[in-house]
Amino acid sequence: MHILKTLRVKPWLPAELEPQASLPSALFNKEKAASTALQFFLAVITVIFLLFTITFLQRTQSFDFQALSGEPWLPFTNADILWQNSAYLVLASISIMVAKKFAEQRILYAIIISLTATTLFTLLFINGQVQVWQQLNQSGFYITTNPANSYYFLLTGVHALHIIGGVLVLMRCIWLFAFSLSYPQLTSRLILCTRYWHYLLFIWLFLFFLLTSDADTFKTIALICGF
Amino acid sequence: MTKMENVAIADQVDESSHPSTFMSKYVWSQDHKVIAIQYSITAILVGLVALVLSGIMRLQLGFPNEFSFIDPSSYLQFVTMHGMIMVIYLLTALLLGGFGNYLIPLMVGARDMVFPYLNMLSYWTYLLSVVVLLASFFVSGGPTGAGWTLYPPQAILSGTPGADAGILLMLVSLAIFIVAFTMGGLNYVTTILQARTKGMTLMRMPLTLWGIFVATILGLLAFPALLVSAIMMIFDKVIGTSFFMPAILSLGETLDHSGGSPILFQHLFWFFGHPEVYIVALPAFGMVSDVISIHARKNIFGYRMMVWAIIAIGGLSFVVWAHHMYVSGMNPYFGFFFATTTLIIAIPTALKVYNWLLTLWRGNIHLTVPMLFAIGFIFTFTHGGLTGLMLGNVIIDLPLSDTFFVVAHFHMVMGVSPIMVLFAAIYHWFPLLTGRFLNNKLGHFHFWGTFLGTYAIYMPMHYLGFLGVPRRYYAMGDTDFIPQSAQTLNAGITVSAIIVGLVQLVFIANVIWSTFKGKKSGRNPWKATSLEWQTAQFPPGHGNWGEKLPQVYRWAYDYSVPNVKDDFIPQNVAPKDVEYLADKQNNNPRQK
Repeated sequence: MHILKTLRVKPWLPAELEPQASLPSALFNKEKAASTALQFFLAVITVIFLLFTITFLQRTQSFDFQALSGEPWLPFTNADILWQNSAYLVLASISIMVAKKFAEQRILYAIIISLTATTLFTLLFINGQVQVWQQLNQSGFYITTNPANSYYFLLTGVHALHIIGGVLVLMRCIWLFAFSLSYPQLTSRLILCTRYWHYLLFIWLFLFFLLTSDADTFKTIALICGF
Repeated sequence: MTKMENVAIADQVDESSHPSTFMSKYVWSQDHKVIAIQYSITAILVGLVALVLSGIMRLQLGFPNEFSFIDPSSYLQFVTMHGMIMVIYLLTALLLGGFGNYLIPLMVGARDMVFPYLNMLSYWTYLLSVVVLLASFFVSGGPTGAGWTLYPPQAILSGTPGADAGILLMLVSLAIFIVAFTMGGLNYVTTILQARTKGMTLMRMPLTLWGIFVATILGLLAFPALLVSAIMMIFDKVIGTSFFMPAILSLGETLDHSGGSPILFQHLFWFFGHPEVYIVALPAFGMVSDVISIHARKNIFGYRMMVWAIIAIGGLSFVVWAHHMYVSGMNPYFGFFFATTTLIIAIPTALKVYNWLLTLWRGNIHLTVPMLFAIGFIFTFTHGGLTGLMLGNVIIDLPLSDTFFVVAHFHMVMGVSPIMVLFAAIYHWFPLLTGRFLNNKLGHFHFWGTFLGTYAIYMPMHYLGFLGVPRRYYAMGDTDFIPQSAQTLNAGITVSAIIVGLVQLVFIANVIWSTFKGKKSGRNPWKATSLEWQTAQFPPGHGNWGEKLPQVYRWAYDYSVPNVKDDFIPQNVAPKDVEYLADKQNNNPRQK
């Protein structure tokens, strides 16, 4: 393991006096730095959703918890609209990946089309989520009436905020590309954006599974987790 | 994927624009040194507010019913705001936002933080969080009086001071602070991992950097727990959800909440709260290691062990949180687990204390003011740590919980000890900021006043705890088990606290006076080896390093090297450039 080898070094010994020219630390690379920062940021996001999830799973076992699917009258027994939203986010993820490819090949019109598609699909996802919230409210599944509802609004809301943050960063990236960024700079930024989009897609799919599970699934998960 | 372009760091172009106007240089600055000073000044100012609040609390405890402006509600509000400001807005901000910002780029040999703009945003977001927090003093009902732990359900129920706007402003302020910390924290870890100059391997970094590095990672992983709990409590308060709120009959009225778990909040809070202790302590551990080594003219004892201990403490700090909740109740096996992990964390911590002592052992100790504060820290930290071992055991914690013994313990270990290191660090690095020393005589006065004064405050407080005097009480009333002598002791503690508070004014005056009129220090006055003292321009200017970045050839602890002319070898001195005493040159083992 590299890190263990690093930590075993004895820096006080004469053999360690010469600077190792091949060290990665001898080179500074802004893209690599941004990539490191993104990794830590994704770790922060992971902890946030992990903690929400743990509290949610614990709450699923309380007497007043009513899962949002499993019975015909529950809103996500038929979760078509959520599948549709998921499709939007998948398409957004694919189109930003395509945009990155076109940026590498420096095909301007294709970049514009694919980034427009990314933005559009992402906004459609947000719009779809808002529609789900409205439908829940119209059907009497208010945020306060049941802990499952509360968690649904909370978790999808926090996820949507992260998506909106991503869109703002992408907008800034496009704005900068219009005026100053070179193709390689755009590519390196799109690599990071792509990673972020993929990660938020992964989180959404996880939330989708979690929030639309039925009572039996929760019981099984709780049994495995020891709640 | 395009090939990323690597730039040799020594030839790295200084892309940061040189600010020319007053606003770009001192207000909207992206220079890490200016941002560090902005962070520090803000943190110290808000810390002074917290200091005044503690003075008012002590007046009430020492001389109950003498001061009409302190009523039971305002007393609880002062306690709450004092705690939260000191832990989050002073200690975390000053140690990481202040010292982290100033020292990281200089110590790793970088021109600035990797993301200067984000760094600037971090400070202004932090300032916003402070403004939101202080705004709660001016809203109807005043700030929250729920205690710094903000436990629901009482934190958001009427009857608790500040249960309307106060608690909301507190939660919003915390959320903003966490955003600010995340922006800063991403900068700190990325700069340390990606912008170290040539030759600066991880194991050549001064321990200050290791402390800041691991503490920042802890912060990035622990603060989300506070954010999550703050968001959920805001929902409970504003929207009426029941994440933490059980079914409650309040003042004869049945509330709409049901099924929530207050204990869940406690778990989330302490999952953040305990690592927070080490978010504060680890940078302090690192800085005190460097101060002791430099002022004892001796390499730090057991450098590798010190690094491993910092990492081990960081890791273990995530699996001890429930020792704050023994009284809340838990499965006995959990209590056993958390007591065990708590005792295990004492091993790397004790290792550090021994290594500081062994660094001092037979060292050429210079009793400078920074060194006095560093040695003072070893005392206060050992005392605070030992009482921590006591409280880590369930059977001892239960009777002592919620007494002044706990207050004395955490103030010694988490209040006084990091503050001692902060003072050591300020006296030590002040010449780097200003090119001047802080006044020595005032510094000695400040040290002895603070060191003896804090002992005069907290030693008797342990005894009050043994007597069973409860914390957070506005007044004891006619309580049979608390003798009158306890009140006399409380009055004595208050007098000591006021004196310690006034001594800090001497320190502030010293800082202001010395900034302009202090004795000039010259370059590298402490003869330190680490990079921050080796800049071309002194004090370091914008961009830190002139045309070429430094190259590092050794670790940061080459002090009292045998046969070397200057008794120390800076990190950026190549082996061929070391000046040896002429007649001993051939015998030096480091040349072979």
